[in-house]
Amino acid sequence: MLLLALLTTLRVSAQDRAVTGKVTSSDDSSPLVGVSVLVKGSTQGATTDANGAYRLSIPNGPNTLVFSYVGFNRQEVAVGNRTALDVVLAIDASDLSEVVITGYGSQIKRDLTGNIAQVKAREIENMPTPSIDQALQGKAAGVYVNAGTGKLGQGVTVRVRGTSSVSASSQPLYVVDGIPVTNEDLGNYGGATNPLADINYNDVESIEILKDASAGAIYGSRAANGVVLITTKRGKAGKTNVSINFQSGVSDATKRVDFLDAKQFADFFRVAAGNRDRRSNINPADADSYTASLFGPDGFFDYYSYGTYGTAKAADYNWQDKAFQKGSINQMDLQLNGGSEKTQFYISGQYLSQNGTLIANSLERLSGRLNLDHQANKWLSVGLNMSLARTLNKRLPGDNAFSNPLQISAISPITPFEDPATGLPAGTPPGEINIPLYYNPIISINYARYAQVGYRNLLQGYAQLNLLTGLRFRSELGVDILNQQEEGYFGSQTVRNQTRAARGIGQNFYTGVLNYNTNNFFSYDRAFGVHTLNATLGMSYQQSQTKFNFVEGTQFPSDAYQRIASAATKSDGSSSETNFRFLSYFLRANYKFANKYLLSLSGRVDGSSRFGSNSRYGFFPAASAGWVLTEEGFLRENRFVSFLKVRASYGLTGNAEIGNFPQLGLFQGDAGYVGAAGQRPSQIGNPDLKWETTTQADIGIDFGLFNNRVSGEVDYYIKKTTGLLLNVQIPSTTGFATQTRNVGELENKGLEFVLNTQNVVGKFTWSTSLNLAANRNKIVNINKQVIDAGLSALTNQAREGQSIGVWWAPEYAGVDPANGNALWYKNTTNTDGSFDRTTTSVYNEAQRVVVGNPNPKLVGGITNTFSFAGFDLSVFFNGVSGNNLSFFGVGQYSSGNGIYEDNQTIDQLQAWTKENPNTDVPEARYLQRNGNQASSRYIYDGSYLRLRTVTFGYNFPKVLVNRLKMEKLRVYVSGMNLLTFTKYKGWDPEVNSDDFTGNIAQGNDFYSPPQPRTILVGLNIGF
Amino acid sequence: MNRTTFKSSLLIAATIAVLTGCGDRLNVLPTQTIDEQNALNTSNDVAVTLIGAYDGVQSGDVLGGAFQYIPDLLGDNAEVRFGGTFGSHQEIWNKTIAKNNTQVAATWIVSYNAINRVNNVLSAIDKVDAASKARIEGEARFLRGFVYFELVKLYAKAWGNGDNATNPGVPLVLTPTRVVDASSNVKRNSVAEVYTQVIDDLTKAESLLPASNGYYATKSAAAAVLSRVYLMQLNYAGARDAANRVIMANRYKLTDTYKENFNTFLNYGGADPSETIFSIQVNQQDGGSSLNTFYGVTIGSVPGTAGRGDVRIQTKHTSSYEAGDDRGTFFTRVGSNVYSLKFVDRYGNVPLIRLAEMYLTRAEANFRLTTTTGAAPLADINLIRARALLPPLTTLTLDIAAILKERKLELMFEGHLLPDLKRTRRSVGSLAWSADALVLPIPQREIDANPNLTQNPGY
Repeated sequence: MLLLALLTTLRVSAQDRAVTGKVTSSDDSSPLVGVSVLVKGSTQGATTDANGAYRLSIPNGPNTLVFSYVGFNRQEVAVGNRTALDVVLAIDASDLSEVVITGYGSQIKRDLTGNIAQVKAREIENMPTPSIDQALQGKAAGVYVNAGTGKLGQGVTVRVRGTSSVSASSQPLYVVDGIPVTNEDLGNYGGATNPLADINYNDVESIEILKDASAGAIYGSRAANGVVLITTKRGKAGKTNVSINFQSGVSDATKRVDFLDAKQFADFFRVAAGNRDRRSNINPADADSYTASLFGPDGFFDYYSYGTYGTAKAADYNWQDKAFQKGSINQMDLQLNGGSEKTQFYISGQYLSQNGTLIANSLERLSGRLNLDHQANKWLSVGLNMSLARTLNKRLPGDNAFSNPLQISAISPITPFEDPATGLPAGTPPGEINIPLYYNPIISINYARYAQVGYRNLLQGYAQLNLLTGLRFRSELGVDILNQQEEGYFGSQTVRNQTRAARGIGQNFYTGVLNYNTNNFFSYDRAFGVHTLNATLGMSYQQSQTKFNFVEGTQFPSDAYQRIASAATKSDGSSSETNFRFLSYFLRANYKFANKYLLSLSGRVDGSSRFGSNSRYGFFPAASAGWVLTEEGFLRENRFVSFLKVRASYGLTGNAEIGNFPQLGLFQGDAGYVGAAGQRPSQIGNPDLKWETTTQADIGIDFGLFNNRVSGEVDYYIKKTTGLLLNVQIPSTTGFATQTRNVGELENKGLEFVLNTQNVVGKFTWSTSLNLAANRNKIVNINKQVIDAGLSALTNQAREGQSIGVWWAPEYAGVDPANGNALWYKNTTNTDGSFDRTTTSVYNEAQRVVVGNPNPKLVGGITNTFSFAGFDLSVFFNGVSGNNLSFFGVGQYSSGNGIYEDNQTIDQLQAWTKENPNTDVPEARYLQRNGNQASSRYIYDGSYLRLRTVTFGYNFPKVLVNRLKMEKLRVYVSGMNLLTFTKYKGWDPEVNSDDFTGNIAQGNDFYSPPQPRTILVGLNIGF
Repeated sequence: MNRTTFKSSLLIAATIAVLTGCGDRLNVLPTQTIDEQNALNTSNDVAVTLIGAYDGVQSGDVLGGAFQYIPDLLGDNAEVRFGGTFGSHQEIWNKTIAKNNTQVAATWIVSYNAINRVNNVLSAIDKVDAASKARIEGEARFLRGFVYFELVKLYAKAWGNGDNATNPGVPLVLTPTRVVDASSNVKRNSVAEVYTQVIDDLTKAESLLPASNGYYATKSAAAAVLSRVYLMQLNYAGARDAANRVIMANRYKLTDTYKENFNTFLNYGGADPSETIFSIQVNQQDGGSSLNTFYGVTIGSVPGTAGRGDVRIQTKHTSSYEAGDDRGTFFTRVGSNVYSLKFVDRYGNVPLIRLAEMYLTRAEANFRLTTTTGAAPLADINLIRARALLPPLTTLTLDIAAILKERKLELMFEGHLLPDLKRTRRSVGSLAWSADALVLPIPQREIDANPNLTQNPGY
């Protein structure tokens, strides 16, 4: 637009009279620089100068001037006889003129032909979650985020337009200021770590998510899962702005599950043991009877209650409460930006300290950033981005560990919290260590520690050359350095859990990732009359090296010595290294004709060390087109439709996240036998192995109605992934369980809908922003294989014709009212082809069927923002619907009608008895399976709607603030996860147990801690 | 070309020059692994692959415990109780095993993984130096024969339960896998074919192996496993002679007390006692006994003890020892349960074959054949009884039931319960020795991956 204006000024012919004026912003009356002023119906025009002033020659006669400026509404004004004409432009409330980062370039939203979702800084700033991926939840259509558990700093599942791989990673590629950053799990303890937690996202200006092939193809073999471009804030010329933000809050777990109390527990197990004795023809009075083993002298109840059961000292102990603590968050941010015309800077620092809602879980981050831009001369500009963060994460064990605090819920309510003999937490030596029933996680809290410290340095320098008009060359060199140290010590008191800790065990892991990247590209941006061309051509090279070493020691003199220097036995140690490299060439051309017709072509050639020698390079092209209908005569004057664009894209992207050497047939030297070195065949090879290819078609409409007060997008896409990299299950008689192959096809289809409305404007404003996405995932072909996520008996699977991760198990049919036996539908096929829906109490007779799908049918978020006289309120809900969750990890023990001595969930009181024959909880039978097998009994609806954040703020009036020598003074209160609406019986429907998460394994609950509910207050000062 | 453009072009040219040649950088090789083409070229390569095979069978899912506890849980009739939350193990103990039982799958998968390691050794046996070739081949055959014997006992009908020539055994895979194709979908060989292969491997192993070989397989170890195979086939002469060869080799000696056979790390810092013919080694850096996991228990007052304490011994068992039987005192009460003390050592070796078994086998076979090869049955039995501090039996009190009872109590929890019940045609509670429920299912995962496998009856 600007260029067009500049060009046309050169061709002014008739100079009949002059008009001058000044253009200002309606927001703060500041002058607007570079506004295009055009005489309507002609090519005559001018732009405003540094003071917002313009001077223009216009022909005689009636004239209308058109004022247009990025970010403001276009305005037309009839000149009449005036020679001076001042204009106030109103800010364009729609986001059509926003600049969108596209990967090696940018475009304004209006001109996009691909699908890129944008999340602005203000939408996520100051959220009380440590990592940016978690903050994106519910903010962008088609971006599904599941934090998994309420543990701080854990890996988060992010899916852009569905899961597009079975065995390769399905996480998007994260690019910070042009560098693809390290985002793999680097943890050696508990669940996956989250390297994004090292990034202070208050430094982030905007996040763009490249969703379709047209947007993503420039990232070639890395883009099939979507690309998240993170752009940090930059300095602005002018006065130095200082902003300080404090916030502080408290948090608590969102939910607890009801378990039996001591009396209910005793009554329940008396029945369960009696039933088992009856079924095994044992007299309950017999010393070997099940009843005696629980209630007899030295029986379970006597022993695990420290002899208090049946005495006056007996009490009720709610162990679950012991797993939780009051969490807290304290955060302070300092940001400065400013500079001269030649040099601009952005400096920031943040301190974040968060205590989790689970005992001993915390995260502390100290980070700083400096972004510098310098215009060396007319043709050269250079810049530097530098950030450094230290993140200290006191992590918790994986969900599956007995030391996972929430597993404490399984402990019998008859067991006192403290050992009466020692006054120490139950199970602490020198007291009896085999009480409680399971290891008491409190002992690990008291006598073990595990700390992960990460130092993260993101460094990027660039130089940009302006070669010819519109032609630029930019060279970027980036380094992402991640150094992570994990240090743990498990004292001798933890020996029941850490069986090798009889005299203490110490561990120390170091992981270093050096990820180096360079981008070098030309870009050309020029308008020729009604033609606008924008092109990018370049190359990129990335190499990443991960080094790991580890040492472990046992036999410490005492628990006072916790460093391995004091370990008499260095019991284990290792070091390893792995590398990958990418060499890529990319090209993109965008062409625009008369602001109406848009065309874009892009492509990338990717070579990688990960691919087999027979297929080292791949080509990923894409094309897209758009048509702005509102620029056509028939819609131009329409008062109802202010903007309408249709667009379509088609192209290929790939997924190269397949691990580093999957193509080779390998032997590994890790098969030693008590000190003698050994090797073993470790991987069966495949020299043809290559990336997965995703072909994606997308059609979309962008619209604005009523002067863009209502705007939105609708997209439909079909995303087909072929050549799936599958860890194909092979007969294990080969000596291998799986082989990586490019077979099969998977499809994601979906509809996305975004709607932004300004419901009320004026002094009181109310706006709404809604995003909804429906995705259907289907595995079209995986060579008839069944790929199992490898969990215990109720495992997610990849099966042809089904969505990825369905649970495949017998279908629970409730309880036989006659005898309390658990029943399952046979679901076998009769000889005549019909389906046998009769039930059986013999588990093996029931055919397995699909009993649940962990993929949500609908995901969305809605934000309502209100403001009035300095007050603002933002209310954000997010929700997920149509997915299932598996409670089997908990239920097989805790909702297993008394098969084990685990404390049972309250619903087990409904277990079958002669008096209560109509129930879906089978008869309680101690140590005998009766319905706790894997089945649909433990598959629940996982839909939820959550009041994710509410923020209420007040901006003190400018007059008052200025008197205090400040620019801005704002106070706010904010709440997170205040309400959750769900039918799910477990702790939290937003669950993906950290020990059981992958592409196939999803939606499993294994005593997974719930999300925190946080309330905080904040103060923001600017001067 | 003006100056600016010239300078810029220089910069760009330099950048491009630096970046060309990146293509060669895409050849990146792994650092911890090597290509299979380079893995089996020298004598040392084969020798370390053999060590890898020991590492394979060391797994707690194979010889490191599962081959012992699975038949003992399946053969139990209320003498133990499986508590704890390992549902797969409880299913085995309750004899209602689901086809997707995770332990049943793990044992199968890890066994064949170990077999593939052995097959790699045997495929390259010609690369081995003459000095160690016989030993390496012997060890490899010993491991393969041993594993196949355990697999066929667990996953197929017992020898003699129907027609051995048509009863499906387990698939015999005897060559290493380099590619996966249609031929990988193997069928189950018959029970008879598997036994033939087992006997072939073990017989060759016995002839190839040295008498002494550290804690690796020896001539006597091969003979000892052969004696078990013949016993299962009711070939008493074969069993007797093989056991006799072990005893007569005179390399092993009964320990003074029964208890000395167990908890080798706590007692001897990891060395095997004089009675052990073959064991799976465990130390602080490597290995772990799943017998310790399930039978063991952490005794607060004894550092170094560990275990889940899942197998709880009932009075039905503890009361079956005669008064004064030293073995009957090798139990401990922890909390509300009684546990065996055999496997409480966190780093204890896994005893697989002890000399006591050879005496018991020779005694039983001699008694059944009314021979006295090596020694009279009474003498052998009384040797075992004397070590357990029990009075000797007499010719009047010696009968097959007494021999089998002695065998049971001596070898309890060491994996003999179910095979002994099956070969002597005794039932497990209400289940006949030939019952389908006393055979493991072929893992569902395996049937899903290989359409040529047939499931066992009853599943």
